[in-house]
Amino acid sequence: MSSDTLDALAFAPTKAALEDAISYLGDAGTDSGSAVSADARRAAFARFETLPAPGDRPNRGWRHDYAKLKFDDLRWSSERMTIATLPSRPRPVASNTDELDLSIDQPALATENAGGLFHLGSTFLDHPKSGATDARVTVMPLSDALRAHPELVQSAAGTVAKRGDKFTALATAFQNCGAFVHVPAGVQLDAPIQLVFAHDGDDAAVFPHIVVVLGDGARATVIERHEGEADAFICGIVDVVTGANARLDYVAVQRAGEGARSMMTRAARSGRDAVVAFHIAELGGVLVRSVVDAELDAEGARAETSALFFNTGFQHVDLVTETRHAVGNTTSDVVVRTAASDRGQGRFHGNIIIEPKAHGSDASLRDDALLLSKGSHIDSVPALEIAANDVKAFHGATVGSLDADALFYASSRGIPRGEAVRMIALAFFEPAISRFPGDALRDEVRTALDRKIDTATDLDA
Amino acid sequence: MSTRGLVVTDLRVAVAGNEILKGINLTVEPGRVHALMGPNGSGKSTLAFTMAGHPGYEVLSGSVTLDGEEILGQAPDKRAKAGLFLSFQYPAAIPGVSVANFLRTARQSVRPDDLTPAKFRALVFEKLDALDMDSAFLGRYVNDGFSGGEKKRLEMLQMAILAPKYAVLDETDSGLDVDALQAVGQSAQSLRATPEGADMGFLVITHYPRILKHLPADVVHVLVDGRIVKTGGPELADQIEREGYDKIRDEVAAASV
Repeated sequence: MSSDTLDALAFAPTKAALEDAISYLGDAGTDSGSAVSADARRAAFARFETLPAPGDRPNRGWRHDYAKLKFDDLRWSSERMTIATLPSRPRPVASNTDELDLSIDQPALATENAGGLFHLGSTFLDHPKSGATDARVTVMPLSDALRAHPELVQSAAGTVAKRGDKFTALATAFQNCGAFVHVPAGVQLDAPIQLVFAHDGDDAAVFPHIVVVLGDGARATVIERHEGEADAFICGIVDVVTGANARLDYVAVQRAGEGARSMMTRAARSGRDAVVAFHIAELGGVLVRSVVDAELDAEGARAETSALFFNTGFQHVDLVTETRHAVGNTTSDVVVRTAASDRGQGRFHGNIIIEPKAHGSDASLRDDALLLSKGSHIDSVPALEIAANDVKAFHGATVGSLDADALFYASSRGIPRGEAVRMIALAFFEPAISRFPGDALRDEVRTALDRKIDTATDLDA
Repeated sequence: MSTRGLVVTDLRVAVAGNEILKGINLTVEPGRVHALMGPNGSGKSTLAFTMAGHPGYEVLSGSVTLDGEEILGQAPDKRAKAGLFLSFQYPAAIPGVSVANFLRTARQSVRPDDLTPAKFRALVFEKLDALDMDSAFLGRYVNDGFSGGEKKRLEMLQMAILAPKYAVLDETDSGLDVDALQAVGQSAQSLRATPEGADMGFLVITHYPRILKHLPADVVHVLVDGRIVKTGGPELADQIEREGYDKIRDEVAAASV
């Protein structure tokens, strides 16, 4: 392997590029490190070509149209190396480990970890330096896991693909990095497992596939992070499967560069009486599509989702949650807080599906949107599809501006208007933030939102 | 003539084009308790909101000075920094902002860096105690899900923490039970007993005189139909309690014929 291959491969969603990728990455299960077989890549690519682009009718004032996504000038690779063998490269910051660390928010990684993986773009580098890996858990690149734990990986991979869309097909066709997390039955972790993607090079195409498996009664927090200033193209899949009575808190904090594009689909299947809680903070990027699918197909299973975005400048974020109650006595609770200032745009689509056999299900969906400027726009589209009797389903949605009475009240206490706006706008996110696991993580999200307010230029609402 | 005091001169105010205050003249003196009484719709709350700088109130003419400084035209937070405090009749809820955070931000805005964090904390706990409030209050979101009595206690707590020069208490007694009313009165009285509160002037806006039993007024003004029609001593409040506002209305009507 020579270092010049790192930057050499251009990426485009074409058949030729796919064949290049296959010959470069090799087949799954070989020493090459691919986690997807050549045939699976070709099949996925065929789906990508035929599936329609997501999103609703164009020309409703949205700046972005997924059907017209441009892939010009993207480059990609899937080279694996450790920090020790990382070649010197003139452009990216990662010429050595010290500089690499500088590009990442340290507080986020300074916490004790039960384990983790560190990626520079699609390149697997190492385990995070802080915190030793808990010997009871497995955290490794997905391609390694496919050789070491093929049954476990197979048990979970494909949760997303079941209901895949155009972008999950693309992610499968070009998958070039990934992580596997296994927390065996009965193991309860206090510290989180961190999966870090540092996006250091502009126009890098990164296609991660993350697989998380929790055994019966296991308990864990997994944090997926996207950091860095670069304007990457990220398109990936997260598959989660838990055993009975397990609890997984899966956190995604996306703070990619302001020109980055991110299309992540995260899906979970919970075991009997298990809880899977997703906590999603989409903070960076210019165009972001974030999908959370919760499949409740075991009695007593529970899905919790808390999600937020705050679109400043010209950001556009689409957040899609789908919660499917397939069997009875399952519960779900979705809390979404979205905000936009400047010319920020966003959509929230929240679907709750209660299938005919899912008697006794209890579903709740609450989303609130805050518009901080006249040029901002958020659509909220909740949908309930109920085919069973004897269910509870709650849904509430609001779109509004800052509460003028609260603003005046705070001002009358001496708090300058700008400070009052900041205080009340940040407080708006609390119902979602307060559900994120751990003080450190909650404070990190608050701080990130606070910085976003600083960058907002238009707060006239 | 001293310029000290909260001095309202010829204040005319319209709301949505309707003139509500038709020329108010009123001075709240330092260290004294003034009561502003009047029937519903007389313009009491309009005066309070106008003083505090609510954007929905249009000043047609007049002035309000605080120890000589004109405050009309200033932003609400500037008025608070100048030393004005309004206790709201209906305090707004701010979900997501804890009482502790709100108090700290407000104090820091009005009196930057005058207390160490430890001293600030001590002050908060002392005032909580004085108001018979549980420290669990501090972790709750501002006025979010508060009962009427809790809201008014929080107003008094903020007043005690901010220690303004002049406090306008807008119907602070409305909706309070006897205990809460007593706590409000005691809180104001104990503030007046401190060195920094001794000079505080109060404008107690009320429909009923009962709050004045706990916070006795030195001067009573009666507001009817946007004008101060009568000013007197504490006995004026007693008269209103006995006779209601009709008699005063009749007197005013007779005088203007």
